[in-house]
Amino acid sequence: MPASRFNAFTEYGIGIGLRLPHYQHILEKKPVVDWFEIISENYMVESGRPLQILDQILEQYRVVQHGVSMYFCNADRPNRDHLKKLKALTRRTKTPWLSDHLCWGSIDGRYTHDLLPVPYTWEAIEKTARNICEVQDFLELPIAVENVSSYAEFHASEMSEWEFLSEVVERADCGILLDVNNIYVSSRNHSFNPLDYVENVPHNRVAQIHIAGHTKYEKYILDTHDHPVLDPVWELYNAALLRSGPTATLLEWDDKIPSFDEVHNEALKAKNFQPRVPILKNTKLA
Amino acid sequence: MKPRVTASQATVIPFPTWPPKLAAIQRSMLQVLSRPLTRADGMTPDSAAEAAALVTPNDRLTSFERLQIYNQQYWWRLLGAFGEDFRGLRGVLGQRKFDKLAIAYLKEYGSTSWNLRDLGQHLEKFVRENTALTAPDARLAVEMVQVEWARVEAFDGTEKPAVDPQKIARTPPDRLRLSLQPYITLLELEYPIDDLLGKLKKRDTESLSNAVSNDRPQRSRRLVAKPGSTRIHLAVHRADYSVYFKRLDPEAYRLLIALKNGQSLEAACEEAFRNSTQLPENAIQNVQSWFATWMRLGWLCA
Repeated sequence: MPASRFNAFTEYGIGIGLRLPHYQHILEKKPVVDWFEIISENYMVESGRPLQILDQILEQYRVVQHGVSMYFCNADRPNRDHLKKLKALTRRTKTPWLSDHLCWGSIDGRYTHDLLPVPYTWEAIEKTARNICEVQDFLELPIAVENVSSYAEFHASEMSEWEFLSEVVERADCGILLDVNNIYVSSRNHSFNPLDYVENVPHNRVAQIHIAGHTKYEKYILDTHDHPVLDPVWELYNAALLRSGPTATLLEWDDKIPSFDEVHNEALKAKNFQPRVPILKNTKLA
Repeated sequence: MKPRVTASQATVIPFPTWPPKLAAIQRSMLQVLSRPLTRADGMTPDSAAEAAALVTPNDRLTSFERLQIYNQQYWWRLLGAFGEDFRGLRGVLGQRKFDKLAIAYLKEYGSTSWNLRDLGQHLEKFVRENTALTAPDARLAVEMVQVEWARVEAFDGTEKPAVDPQKIARTPPDRLRLSLQPYITLLELEYPIDDLLGKLKKRDTESLSNAVSNDRPQRSRRLVAKPGSTRIHLAVHRADYSVYFKRLDPEAYRLLIALKNGQSLEAACEEAFRNSTQLPENAIQNVQSWFATWMRLGWLCA
């Protein structure tokens, strides 16, 4: 979505993930980049090199925080210690909004360090919305929740993933980080039409979009973030923009990371889609 | 939709309510994920009943195979992070023994922190209590874990403001109390762990630089060492955002330990030189020199 309350009325353009192999290049060459997305947890430390690097980046660039361990769909409530550290980091980065995943990852104090799928039940909606509200209130920042890629579906599910996502964000009154690569990966793993997903989420809440590459195996697709973006994902990206309008977009490349220029050029391909599209309303996509 | 179970599947574990409570599903799934993989890196058949109860099959994968993807990711991620932090221990034990220890440790302790950095926080206790897993190098393994965990702490541990030199100058030694930066760990070792880790780093650098020209995979050599005739006193610290090891004189080590324990400068010096063979005039010179170094490195805080 263009500037809206879900991305703090910003228009951030095309960003890339800030990753360790690129630190030196960025600090020395100071390339022009609209913004960087950081993994919050990498900088939620007391001191040392991670924060020293971050401070240098913050002198030159706009940064948005993206988390991997808030686990909004946990049956348990959010971890207060985690939230306090996260809030301290948001004050340092002045992130205009903050994103994390629509998944669970810990129970009874045991952590899996994975983005695990949740059964799409009414109870899960209630608990997830409760958790997002609690985080949003504590951090005093707009929150965008990201759909994850998944490899399993639950017997217990009572609705589709996009119905679940839509209900959660309406109840929590938060934004969406729409990951079109994750939609594509899940659509192949669970045999649904990815356009149904893109079409049926509340487009006015899309604060940011993720694009990435994935890996195809014989019987499923894995969300590996180690390739350029594949054509079907660009098509979904285009479809999402047709609905949401120009939206802050971020390329994720987390494994087998090539040169900074290669990653940045891949991300900038998104510009080919952004300026041309008018926002379509009440129009079914092909 | 309720679980469909075929005759070939194991007994479905029933949930008391339908749909099951979210917490019950998550507990059940955690139980499955935290079961170690088989030798073939697959999910154990023990998880078949939970898989059938939790997850639907599709036209390509069974419930078991779908849940197995998460079981594999869980172990590969944790073992990967653990292996990164304790490369020295792997060098000491060799790959096979290290894997066995890692799985046993992660099975017993799992992760209780949102931060993977904390994964090894109980490892020293574990290797002390499970010497069968590290024999005949039990002592070497403990010391390697101590140093490698100290390195994790030194990398991003808390840094307090350095002590004001004026404060040192104007406070009488019997009332002057100084503290050590929380990111510094002081260790008394039997083995030259710093040298072993230096060797490992050199070996890794060489194998990287030879990666293109050397077609044959090199056999991973184990790190071996004998205990020294005297104890080694080591500070694991950081300077300019990098982690370093610094060997200390025994008296300097005792002095820092005493300061860390809250003793006054005067009492700490007495403690440090209690059984020392150093001549008093040398001792004074040494203390001055040590303090100059520690101040330069920012080790001392109020």
